[in-house]
Amino acid sequence: MSAPVKIEPTEAITRAKAGDGEAWSELYGEYAPAIFRFCRRALPTREDAEDATTEIFMKLRDKLVQYDQSRSFSAWLYKVAANHCWDTLRRRKIRQDKETEDVDSVPLEHPDANQLDKLIEQRTSEEVRKALDKLGGRARMALVMRYYSDMSYDEIADELGVRRAFVGVVLLRARHELRQALERTSALAAGGAS
Amino acid sequence: MNHLDEMTCLLYLERQLDRTRAQEVSAHTQDCAACRTLMRALERESRLLTRAMLEEEEPLPARLAEFQERAKRSLQWIWGVAFGLAATGAYALYTGYIEPWQQQLEQAGFGGTNMLSLLVFQGAFWKGWQSMITLLEVIALLTLAGFGAALFRRRMRRGSALALVLAGFCTVLALPQGVSASEFRKGHSVEVREGETIKGDIFLFGDRVRIEGTVDGDVYAFSQDVNVNGHVTGDVISFAHTLRIGGKVDGNIRVALNTLTVTGSVSKNALIFADYANLDSSGNIGGSITAFAESLNVDGKLGRDILIYSKHLGVSGTVGGGIQAKGSTMSIGATGEVDGPVRFEGENVPDVSSGAKLASPVQYTKWEHKSEYRSSHYYIWRVIWTAALILFGLVLFMLLPKFGRETISAAEQFGAPMGLGVLVFFGVPIAAVIACITVVGIPLGILALGIWFLALCCAELVVGAVVGTWILGRGSSSWEIVGRMALGFVLVRIGFTLLAQVHVLRSLGALGIWMWGMGAVSLALYRRFQPVIAPGMPSSPPLPPNTTVGGVQPA
Repeated sequence: MSAPVKIEPTEAITRAKAGDGEAWSELYGEYAPAIFRFCRRALPTREDAEDATTEIFMKLRDKLVQYDQSRSFSAWLYKVAANHCWDTLRRRKIRQDKETEDVDSVPLEHPDANQLDKLIEQRTSEEVRKALDKLGGRARMALVMRYYSDMSYDEIADELGVRRAFVGVVLLRARHELRQALERTSALAAGGAS
Repeated sequence: MNHLDEMTCLLYLERQLDRTRAQEVSAHTQDCAACRTLMRALERESRLLTRAMLEEEEPLPARLAEFQERAKRSLQWIWGVAFGLAATGAYALYTGYIEPWQQQLEQAGFGGTNMLSLLVFQGAFWKGWQSMITLLEVIALLTLAGFGAALFRRRMRRGSALALVLAGFCTVLALPQGVSASEFRKGHSVEVREGETIKGDIFLFGDRVRIEGTVDGDVYAFSQDVNVNGHVTGDVISFAHTLRIGGKVDGNIRVALNTLTVTGSVSKNALIFADYANLDSSGNIGGSITAFAESLNVDGKLGRDILIYSKHLGVSGTVGGGIQAKGSTMSIGATGEVDGPVRFEGENVPDVSSGAKLASPVQYTKWEHKSEYRSSHYYIWRVIWTAALILFGLVLFMLLPKFGRETISAAEQFGAPMGLGVLVFFGVPIAAVIACITVVGIPLGILALGIWFLALCCAELVVGAVVGTWILGRGSSSWEIVGRMALGFVLVRIGFTLLAQVHVLRSLGALGIWMWGMGAVSLALYRRFQPVIAPGMPSSPPLPPNTTVGGVQPA
């Protein structure tokens, strides 16, 4: 998938840092939908996502003075959003107890590629989103950070509080969880159809 | 051939393998169809994931989309409505309460320029606690509703809390007033004749006012010369040159006048603003006297205490309680009798006759006229308090850094915090007292008063932080902001100390600082409860993420 070219609104950022309300307007209008979708994917309910979006922009207003304009604004914004969402999930202790950093428990196997291919081919985006909702907090958070906001392994490790080497494990486990959820959905659909 | 495991394939796709390992994997996939297929499947899975996440299957919720629009409008709208409603409230208050009184007083020849006298002597202020209780309950409920609205802010529209409270307040003021059974009499010489009985309150305006009959209610007398020789079952409230009470008053007397003489009996208390006040030897007041007078003589019998600020206090009669007096002189004659403690703070040693019967010796404190500004202690304590307040500010800022920044940011706007500060400075204590009076709101009233007092303590610090920011520029870290606050605070204190040499400027300066600082704290609190994010409509923006997969390959 090609990367959409995004021009950073540097002027608006500078003005917003100086406390210009109109500049805030521009930034909010520009980024609120994306941040809302990020939260929608990362958090369990729509209401959570709405609340989180509001709170993230509140945080942003306070933190903007700390933003280094030599870095990407959107990357920084996603980092703030990820931090907020992960905090929210952690406070709720969503399936934390299941997670370990035991790398040895990662299945080092060669799955049936054709079966995987078939599973992916038959799924729509909507089904994937529904399956995502069934994942644990950390799995979903990791997938969203990686495949929605394109955060690096270092950033993901930093947010989730794990070693960098473990990020791949978290992502792979998350994919396995997702596949299982997709399979369960199709099994249910097949059961319902028969 | 050994196949690649899934983890290796994923890390390869995500460019997380080192160069050597990546080359090995690449070479392997050239020869191994199974691994190549797995790699492709994983890549397709990544794309599916990204596509599923990026798809805009639902628009930005109305709450968020409208949020900015409302925020922009509401920033103007809410203040417009707030000021509009406040103006309406003030107008309703004036036309409903003050203006009628002003007209009546003008008809009575007193003119309407002295607003303080109008407020102090208008009926509802004194007699109205019973009749005002409904109004107070409504206001207390509205205050509670305001707090409730703030608590449920997420479900409320922006600014609705303030608008709700003000709208309710205006509604209450706009409600038709209850029918009054009061009687008004006006003329050169007005009288309640002997044998005549007035049921309800009576308002008397004239050069001469005489009450020889019975008033079964309160008497409001505005005159040059007032004589009460009859029987008043309620209170006597008078604004006159001379008032003589020779009859019987079952309630209180509250008066502002030149000369008061009591030869009859007053069952309850007396509040006196007068040049000369005299409780004659035949006079009797059952309760206490609170007086601000040039001279007060108590020759008759007083049931309870005296609290007085006067030039002279003379006691030749009986005082059932104690005396707390401040003034120039005090004398207790040979026939004087005081059953409680006597404390006198004044310029001259009290003159106490040896024949006077006192429960305990007079405690006398001599007034020192030395200006506090000439005292070194004053400056030492200023320095100590400055240091203590800086420490207080430091602790507060460290505890609530975000709120501290918000408050300073609010203070920098100047206009809005000053306006809000005026409202909060005067409004909150009144609302708190009202809440306390209505019993149901006692905790709320105490809480509001506590927050108000805390904001008052912080006001000077907030102003200091703004002044520090003006001088040193905006600080980013907490310590930079604290440093600016300390510097600004010290400068404000120095400036204020110089300003305080002139008493009027001292009062004005203190009020300005309090209102500005309190307004900033209130504005920050308000914004915290009703967050203002940014004005403007959201557009449908392109999403910024860059690629589906892959980070930077480590070297």
